[in-house]
Amino acid sequence: MHRIFTYLLAALPVTALAADAAADRDISLTIYNKDIALVEHVRPLNVGAGMQRIEFAGVSALIVPETVSFQAPNLELIEQNFDYDLLTPDKLMEKAVGSTVRIVRVNPATGAETSENAEVLSTEGGTVLRIGSRIEVLRADNLPTRVVFDKVPENLRAQPTLSVLVNARAPVTETARLAYLTHGLNWSADYVVVFDEPRGTSQLQGWITLRNTSGTTFTNARAQLVAGDVNLANSEDQWWQAWQTRHDARARRTAGTEPNGRPRLGDYYVYPIAQRTTVANNQTKQVSFVEAGEIKTSKGYELTFYGFASNEEPQSAEVRVRFSNSKAAGLGDALPSGVVRVYSRDARGQPQFIGEDHIGHTSAGSELALKIGDAFDVTVQPTLDKTTAISKRSNEYEMSYLLRNARAQPVTVTLRQDGLWRQNSIQKESIKGRRTDADSFAWDIPVPANGEATLTFTLRQGW
Amino acid sequence: MSRSRIGWALALLAAPALAAAQAEIVSRAPDSVSVTIYRDLFALVTETRTVDLPAEAVTLSFDGVVETLIPASAVVGDLGRELQERNYDYDQLAPAGLLRRSIGREVVLSRVMPGGGRVVQTRATVAAADSHGVTLRTADGLEALQCSGLPERLTFEEIPGDLRPEPRLSVRLAAGTAGRRTIKLSYIAHGFTWTSDYVAMLDPAGKSMDLTGWVTLRNLTHATLRQAQVQVVAGNLNLIDVKRGGSSTFGDTADFGDARELQDTRELGLWGMEEDAADTSDLEFLRGCYPLALPKPPVPRPARDWRAGASGYGDELEEIVVTGMRSSVLSPENLADYHLYRVPWPTDLNARQTKQAVFLQKPRVRVERFYALKFWADEHGIGLDAKPIAPAVMLSFRNEKARGLGEPLPAGMVRVFERAPEGTLFVGESSLGDKSVGVPFELEIGRALDLAIELQFDRAPDDVPDDGAHYAGFRFSIHSAKQRAIPLEIRQRYEEDTAHGEIIHANRRPTRKSGAYIWRFDVPPGSVDTLSYTWRLADPGPRK
Repeated sequence: MHRIFTYLLAALPVTALAADAAADRDISLTIYNKDIALVEHVRPLNVGAGMQRIEFAGVSALIVPETVSFQAPNLELIEQNFDYDLLTPDKLMEKAVGSTVRIVRVNPATGAETSENAEVLSTEGGTVLRIGSRIEVLRADNLPTRVVFDKVPENLRAQPTLSVLVNARAPVTETARLAYLTHGLNWSADYVVVFDEPRGTSQLQGWITLRNTSGTTFTNARAQLVAGDVNLANSEDQWWQAWQTRHDARARRTAGTEPNGRPRLGDYYVYPIAQRTTVANNQTKQVSFVEAGEIKTSKGYELTFYGFASNEEPQSAEVRVRFSNSKAAGLGDALPSGVVRVYSRDARGQPQFIGEDHIGHTSAGSELALKIGDAFDVTVQPTLDKTTAISKRSNEYEMSYLLRNARAQPVTVTLRQDGLWRQNSIQKESIKGRRTDADSFAWDIPVPANGEATLTFTLRQGW
Repeated sequence: MSRSRIGWALALLAAPALAAAQAEIVSRAPDSVSVTIYRDLFALVTETRTVDLPAEAVTLSFDGVVETLIPASAVVGDLGRELQERNYDYDQLAPAGLLRRSIGREVVLSRVMPGGGRVVQTRATVAAADSHGVTLRTADGLEALQCSGLPERLTFEEIPGDLRPEPRLSVRLAAGTAGRRTIKLSYIAHGFTWTSDYVAMLDPAGKSMDLTGWVTLRNLTHATLRQAQVQVVAGNLNLIDVKRGGSSTFGDTADFGDARELQDTRELGLWGMEEDAADTSDLEFLRGCYPLALPKPPVPRPARDWRAGASGYGDELEEIVVTGMRSSVLSPENLADYHLYRVPWPTDLNARQTKQAVFLQKPRVRVERFYALKFWADEHGIGLDAKPIAPAVMLSFRNEKARGLGEPLPAGMVRVFERAPEGTLFVGESSLGDKSVGVPFELEIGRALDLAIELQFDRAPDDVPDDGAHYAGFRFSIHSAKQRAIPLEIRQRYEEDTAHGEIIHANRRPTRKSGAYIWRFDVPPGSVDTLSYTWRLADPGPRK
């Protein structure tokens, strides 16, 4: 926090501050969904001739200083500084070591003030002062004592401040561009899906959610949002990105290949915000970007088992809401990464929240299967009936899965046996299943309304 | 009934050429509110509001929303015109925000002088303010606030910037038809939860019980919802962590019933408003000073023991049980794959309040009371020691209408009581997972008295003869001092690597169920009964 970027100011002849051009002529924000944004300020400058320092107020407090670029064709840039040694009482005293401050003592009986000068000797674990020939510890007597400093040390600032040192050959009126990357500006997509189960459709509304915690308000900005996984080197983010991608893969069943009309920037999609907008500090701003009224949607029950075990407790099946963002299904748009909140209408027609899932950047035409929760009334109870050693390198497992459905409608549960070893095969099965990949099989098991069904199979695998 | 008011927002925007003053309408309070409480420490709040919209473009702000809302979850419906953007501003008029926004502004510094309490007022400019303290510029020079030992306070002339007394949700609407509209605003808010608890009253014969289910609602927020329509949802929803844009404050595996987690949630600071306003954290904001010889006086912070008290939430929560609700039975209905219980009439849900209502009342549910000894065994050992063991007292039932039940049972604690000639006895308690209709289940409610089981090995478990198989000879001696015959079940579990085992030479035949060998028999009163068998585990067994 207390770094100072090269600060050579004292050594150079500097005229008065030329510009504190707080008013932006224009400001544009390009916000990525990895807590990074590109900010560009366009500011008018009135600069006299000579070497001078220009301070920029109103830049993001979470600026990445090494990414600053300053463009003003008629000015010679000498250096760029970003100072964030903040002015605090503690720092003020620390910087006063070796110099003189004024001590104002207050008489506890009368309230009368007496003032004397003191030299600050040390601030380690307490402030040590030399007053005349005496050495004292500040407020060791716990009596009211004010300390008055005559000026702010040069490098301490109330707010992180960006400044540039420039040289102008002649007085100029200039339009400067200041661009930098900052943290604290982030966006994600949020989706509201209202699922109408009897009709097999859903309504979807997509919102871009922009969050500003940068400490700065950006007034009347042009904003555009970029969807795509920008690589951020050596960051914690990289790890998260990988984790997220793996997680989201479970919600997306097939990747779509449909084109759509969204503007692109390289490999990324760009979502411009139509109107200029003020992005206030500590604000969450949402703008609708996609809406569809009748998307073909179905619901399914799934449960995956790894290994072979018995359980006295039935396990609830996962409920998945499945739809496609293809044109044919009623949507036809890419969906940037975000959280999908799913609602269903209760008996009185009021939408109630039934669960949420995270999706990754999803190209148009993809199949999605969002996990929204566990079915209260659809359960699976596994029992391992028998294990047999077939040879030194293979086993046989006899499993039975008891499925119960307490709903008034029949359901189909997709049960998956996953994580199998090599040379796996089904020897016997009560319901025809299918191989889903090299190490898993799946069965679609119909369970009657208010009824039960059993899947039994014998599976052989080796190692 | 319109609660809205038209005002004009001050044009605080710095670029006047671009900033047109936009009309702002404030909707003060909802006309009616519905709250759906989930078990994962949140609720869906749905408000109905009446607003008078002018024809021009307008900003519509909502006062009186629940402070813990997740802004991204908000949905505004029935507006009848284009919604351009939705904003949630939380730059609050708390001491910290006020001081930060006052940097460079003039304030009045008041000091109370000792010896009579004379107040000296000085004009000062805030030079810097952050969590490490406040520095002021006065006519004398620079001084730090509240470091002199004198009582010092700041007075502000105006509220800087756009700080608000509370976070505000607003929508920017395009121009449209003027007129009165009834709109719906819904959002997810944290700090609500509910649990279910059961009271089971056993008849002395242990053949049936009266089962009563209670819903306990908790409003842990500071919001009071008047005449709210309240419903609760029993279901495990998939939830994404708030840090990843979702609605859950503690990840996907929420155990909301645990006070410890509530405490963790608070410590993580995810409760937002809890620490604000005049709370200690903002007073600490002023405490930054230069090094002093004396330690800073610690800022008193109220101790929060969430574990204390019957509810597990400590005395910070006002424990109010509305006995009037105890007679009502909530009506259940299906919601997607969950169950929703509706409080049949509107009710006040006050800040920090707990409420209870009955959601289930089933007399004479058929149960079976029996004793059980459960253990596992493999070729390395036995999950039991050979001392006298008191078997568990079990209650088993089937959730079926024919047996007097047949209702979904949301997870909760079951407290079992027994009617005895001397009065009502507390027999024990056990937690119950979500149980759908048709599912059998059992509760372990205690340990048996007057019933002891001793285990001896006729053949030690490490006896491996020439055939390479493992043999274990079990002999259970059951000593019953009971007055009548009691049903006993002995269950030996097997796992993936022991599922090929067989029971040979048994004096009673076992059945197999749910991954266990089961012996079920009646133990006569005042006797010693025996179960003996040999368990053979062939080699090679399957590799795990």
